[in-house]
Amino acid sequence: MPQARSQPTRPRRAARGEHPTTRKAASKVAITLRLDPDRVARLQAIAEAENRSLTNYVETALLRDLARREEAQRVITMYVAPGVPDNIRAEDVVRAEGESDEDYTERQALMVDLWSIPDNT
Amino acid sequence: MVPGAFVRVLFPTREKPHRPGLPHIGYVLGITTGYAMVAYTTSQPWPGDTPLPAGARVFDAMEAARLNQSRAFLLRLDVLAKLPLTQAWFPDMQQSGAGIVAIAPPKLQAELTKLATNLARRSRELLEMRGP
Repeated sequence: MPQARSQPTRPRRAARGEHPTTRKAASKVAITLRLDPDRVARLQAIAEAENRSLTNYVETALLRDLARREEAQRVITMYVAPGVPDNIRAEDVVRAEGESDEDYTERQALMVDLWSIPDNT
Repeated sequence: MVPGAFVRVLFPTREKPHRPGLPHIGYVLGITTGYAMVAYTTSQPWPGDTPLPAGARVFDAMEAARLNQSRAFLLRLDVLAKLPLTQAWFPDMQQSGAGIVAIAPPKLQAELTKLATNLARRSRELLEMRGP
């Protein structure tokens, strides 16, 4: 008795007549964005100047913002042990022995600034 | 523990970021009531074809020796940890010397504070949102 050939579970894209980019595009999620008309007009003008569609311009702007945030996270990697407070007061920063007023003020400002950076590990 | 100290610390790792990690010498950027801000150091050579990170400060063998360290090392002001001042994180805390290897001279402390301040500013600028 002849063996039945197993059927491929999924037909090839070309065989389905599917454009190669269709699946990728389908994996994107559509969102609804509500903006003031004035802002839309400004964004539209920028998009046209950059020879893009409005949708593409908005997507690009969001991706730029994400990239900037990721870059900012890479600037300082902050580990935070459990139970450490989120913020400190400048007056609680301990002064180093023999530290000048100017250097101490700078250290206080630095500590308050760095302490506000959350865990990003 | 004092600000400006190079101290033995169990610096957290990427794999277990919230637990005491591997023994390292850390630089104490500052101290507050019960907590310390510690910067990572490593004596592993930096790959020659890779640019140094913005927060890196190289200490050559001579400078390292002045800080009681046997090898050249790299201080990473861009890799920081906020840690409680406890023995769990600073294992030699209760011993004489409290695990302090050296204390940076005031001029070096001021230089490192300035470098870290510029780095923090850069980080903040990148995070600042454009206006609406």
